[in-house]
Amino acid sequence: MNAFSYARPRALAEALRLLRNGAMALAGGTDLIGLMKDGLTHPESLVDLTGIEGLRGWSHPKGRGLRIGALTPLVELETSDVLGKTLPILRESLREAATVQLRTMGTVGGNLLQRNRCWYFRDEGTVCWLKGGNRCFAIDGENRYHAILGAQDCVIVSPSDLVPALIAYDAEIALTSSRGTRRMKLADLFITPRGRERREHALRPGELITEVRVPEAALSRRGTYLKAMDRKAWSFALVSVAAAARIERGVARDVRIVMGGVAPVPWRVIAAEKGLEGSTLDDASCADAADRLLAGATPLRDNGYKVTLARELVRRALRSLTA
Amino acid sequence: MLRGPGATDVALTVNGEHLTVRAAPRRTVLDTLRETLGLTGTKKVCDEGTCGACTVLVDGGPVYSCMTLAVACEGKSIETIEGIAKDGELHPVQRAFIDADAFQCGFCTPGQIMSIVALLRENASPTEDDVRRAVAGNLCRCGAYPNIVKAGVSAGKRQK
Amino acid sequence: MPRVVRSREEFEGEIFESLVLVEGKDLPVHPAGTEFNEIAKSRRRIDGQQRVTGRAKYTQDVYLPGMLHVRVLRSPYPRARVRRIDTKKAEKLAGVRDVLHRFNAPKAAFRGEETIFREEVRFVGDEVAAVAADDEQSAVEALRMIEVDYELLPHVVDLEEAIGDVAPRLETDGNVAEAATHKRGDAKRGLKEADFVIDATYRTSTQLHNSLETHGAVASWDGEQLTVYESTQHAFGVRQGLRTALKLPFSKIRVLCDYMGGGFGSKGGVGKYSIIASMFSMRLGRPVRCVLTREEENLAAGNRSATLQQLRIGGKAGRITALEHTSWANVGQGKWVANPTGPTNTLYDIANLSSKSYKVVTNAGSLSAFRAPGYVEGTFALESAIDELADKMGVDPLALRRKHAASPKDPMVGKRYSDKHLIECYRIGAAEIGWQRRRSGGIRGSAPHRRRGIGMATQIWGGGGGPPAYATVHVNPDGTVVLTTGSQDIGTGTRTILAQICADELGVELDDVQVRLGDTDNPYGPISAGSLTTASVGPAVRIAARDAKEQLLGAAAGVLETPKAELRLEAGVVVTKGARTPLSEILGRVDNNTVIGKGGRHPNDPELSLRTFGAHFAEVEVDVRTGEITVEHVVAVHDIGRIINPMTARSQVEGGVLQALGFALSEERFLDRATGRVMNANLENYKVPTVKDVPAKITVKFVDRPDRRANNLGAKGLGEPPIIPTAAAIANAVANATGARVRHAPLTRARVLEALAIAEAKS
Repeated sequence: MNAFSYARPRALAEALRLLRNGAMALAGGTDLIGLMKDGLTHPESLVDLTGIEGLRGWSHPKGRGLRIGALTPLVELETSDVLGKTLPILRESLREAATVQLRTMGTVGGNLLQRNRCWYFRDEGTVCWLKGGNRCFAIDGENRYHAILGAQDCVIVSPSDLVPALIAYDAEIALTSSRGTRRMKLADLFITPRGRERREHALRPGELITEVRVPEAALSRRGTYLKAMDRKAWSFALVSVAAAARIERGVARDVRIVMGGVAPVPWRVIAAEKGLEGSTLDDASCADAADRLLAGATPLRDNGYKVTLARELVRRALRSLTA
Repeated sequence: MLRGPGATDVALTVNGEHLTVRAAPRRTVLDTLRETLGLTGTKKVCDEGTCGACTVLVDGGPVYSCMTLAVACEGKSIETIEGIAKDGELHPVQRAFIDADAFQCGFCTPGQIMSIVALLRENASPTEDDVRRAVAGNLCRCGAYPNIVKAGVSAGKRQK
Repeated sequence: MPRVVRSREEFEGEIFESLVLVEGKDLPVHPAGTEFNEIAKSRRRIDGQQRVTGRAKYTQDVYLPGMLHVRVLRSPYPRARVRRIDTKKAEKLAGVRDVLHRFNAPKAAFRGEETIFREEVRFVGDEVAAVAADDEQSAVEALRMIEVDYELLPHVVDLEEAIGDVAPRLETDGNVAEAATHKRGDAKRGLKEADFVIDATYRTSTQLHNSLETHGAVASWDGEQLTVYESTQHAFGVRQGLRTALKLPFSKIRVLCDYMGGGFGSKGGVGKYSIIASMFSMRLGRPVRCVLTREEENLAAGNRSATLQQLRIGGKAGRITALEHTSWANVGQGKWVANPTGPTNTLYDIANLSSKSYKVVTNAGSLSAFRAPGYVEGTFALESAIDELADKMGVDPLALRRKHAASPKDPMVGKRYSDKHLIECYRIGAAEIGWQRRRSGGIRGSAPHRRRGIGMATQIWGGGGGPPAYATVHVNPDGTVVLTTGSQDIGTGTRTILAQICADELGVELDDVQVRLGDTDNPYGPISAGSLTTASVGPAVRIAARDAKEQLLGAAAGVLETPKAELRLEAGVVVTKGARTPLSEILGRVDNNTVIGKGGRHPNDPELSLRTFGAHFAEVEVDVRTGEITVEHVVAVHDIGRIINPMTARSQVEGGVLQALGFALSEERFLDRATGRVMNANLENYKVPTVKDVPAKITVKFVDRPDRRANNLGAKGLGEPPIIPTAAAIANAVANATGARVRHAPLTRARVLEALAIAEAKS
């Protein structure tokens, strides 16, 4: 890890001012410290955000959706009984995420911004396309954990467990910089690396995620989170699926299906979701939706199994909504 | 206030003792404990947040000390394996580990114990599943897991 | 007077004949059913308190005043010539004290080579240079400043590519070398005469040890004496390696290993890191620490070879008629090969058999012994093939094995086993798992898409131990005891069981025995490997304790003025007909004294074959749509002679089962063929089992009958047996559950789903 200077401001404005000078933001550190230890990033200074009290915790102002401060530790969301009832998919996804220690350290904002786990990307000795090199080594190399969908120049996969769950609740985020605040759908934060876009997130320099908001309308959705790993705990998803819907008189409304681990970004196919509007989520329609989500899958040498796995998890997740 | 990149004074509470260490911002809690303070009970196994051997409690919560900067713990309380026995009496989790034969080489043991100590503060009578969740982030290569789970459950019982 | 005798010992599947020094007569073994005070009792580990408080000092925890830190520059290429090294910038960095590389390092013999830093580096991770600095961070930064001019050479890392014709030849006589072969009867004819033949190819992936404590050493040269703290399974082996490399006499080298964080076979001798640390220490006159990082550990500190194995097995009339087994193993840059055909040659009484084991050299890190090297890989293939044959023949796979498992003779060497209760293991295991519930085609699982199955597999291993192994027992005037041996406790509980043996024989309380080990200033102790510690060091300890007891009783006879024959020593008390006198009181009446008992391991009977046997049974549930395997129950039954400590023995078996579970389901090294780089030299993507992977139930059973011909304890080893049959038992259970045969360990989802698709297409 390179040497760097460090500051722990108490106020957001101070943090934003410090970040203008090319500093990097540090929250739980579970990803950033790893990237620095691996020699993948060499910030001259870190701005520790954890001293900013206003960005921690969550609230539910009546009828105005649920607001989660970006610096809320994951473990607080996981252990809150209220949130367990309001956002059950979130709790399920967090219980499958990493470990107690990492969830104690890690924050919501940091989780959304974690970088991919591709082993060529994480290998300091390999200059892959995403790091400015000429080619993606995984396409012709060891690719059992890589993308089957939506990839172009780079076959990384979206690693977060929390993200598919939040997108299934139509989450939005607030991004704040010294120039002000903008809001976007969480789904829009994620970028498929291609062409000149050698990055994974739409965050601008000097910008911070300050808040995640779940709209009131989404809070009534029921749902589930399924995750396949190659051991029973503490692994990034081979495939994960967050599925949500409102069930009205036995039929599904506002269906959301979001996959992790299969594409460079959280994977959704709106047509598949729309196709289930008003469905009883019977076997045939769930299987059909799964096929639509996986249509166009282009597996590599070692990851064809993910297609089978993803199709089955989607089907199961959808079936469970009316179970 | 910007600190570093060289060493600065960092005020920590380690096992109840207030002290000041010299540490550059890049220095982890793990290296501070082991090299600056001579507290070598906390083990370095992966040094990248993937094994749990370096688990300590920061303000009561279990964290990987290899991924935590000492400077970020300014003013916080750190508890390590060396600090949980009180007045020469082993902590109930330590006793339970010996009784259940919950270790072989013992290298993961301090981390396992700290994870269970943290669990017991939240949940005084954990089930086997609770213990498994608490130590799922602590790898044991000797495979002492069944006895670790037993030790965790019985430590809860004997604490009462 | 010591005398020289010939001995025959088995070590990790190989037989060695040697001359050993012994003294006096061996003690007779206690008969079955003997009631002991300490032996055969569950005892807590005597070092438990040290381990749970963090006070146990491992090599990693040795910080000496003025100590320097070493980091090693390793080759980023799988094969290259090091043409030039420029260290000027690195040397100028503040805190850097010295840099070593092939152009300035002294010659040092190491595993048949003359230097530590090769001219031609041969795998990613091969040592190129080393930096000693005041702190680790400075050493790391210095590494980045060393400029190396590499001439890249063609490489091959993959086993099957290396066997093929297009791969570069890494050795003058090619990449493939025959290493072992065995023949009995006529396998070709046996196969021809069979009614059923299985001809199948099995693969096992490279497994990485990932001992939690990485390899490492702290070396300290004081101008006269070199003291090396090393995380090792063999302190005396390290001393030998240092003597060879550094040309120092034994008297000037002391190797210490107090607590040790796992080795699993990989820490069998001196490492380059300890030679490098010693060289720096001798050049700079300061203590020097060289402890590997996790990544280095996984590049350069050994592995279990990947294998490709072909088996042909024939059956007729409910019996196996013939067996052919050919194995190729990727040894990387290793100089030897573990033999996967070992179990094939020795496990079953099969009349027609032929086996061959090939060593394949590649540009990958060297293999090292890994808990039952060869046997884990070979048993996976052999025991899978036997189940495939049973299935094809329509017979019960356990019944088929029984027909070939009862022989009292070693089918390979023709000698009688010292003892064998394999059929008893089968009986116990079948009852515990509920073998009668097993149905061809499996049984219903907990959901419609889940299938349940039962499988089993057998294990054979050595574990008989042998000489040389020595111990001394010092009794202090207060009646407390110090047991000293050069052996080490690598986490198996050696300290505890040796203390039990000592206390039991001597007649003192367990709490009064301290055990000092892991020190080359102690009497010689063998390598803690090959499941040989209990059976090698244990009998020596017993003799030493008996020697001390005889002396103590002699002293007591003098003090109490009672004939020695009327005295007994029990729990630290000298008992005569009418009185009980504490040992401390008797010794206290004599002026300052130390009673020293000596003991050495006596040789094995050269006419016997010493083996351990066992069988594992597994019940699994398979999600046939996602390929997920859940191991519900493992029953492990072992025949290892007398059990010294049932509690730690049970732990040992559970640990073996769980390490095998990783080999069976999730552990696999990935090498990028184009660059030769290890993609998962870490604990994120090299997946060792977590607590949640543990089967819902593990049942551990022992036959627990003393092997009267093995040694004076009747005990054999248990380190390796429990890792051997688990993967095959699981693969057989998966096949039973689903009809899908996965012939490649680990049984990942991809492989299970592929096998399920093949099985579905067939049915």
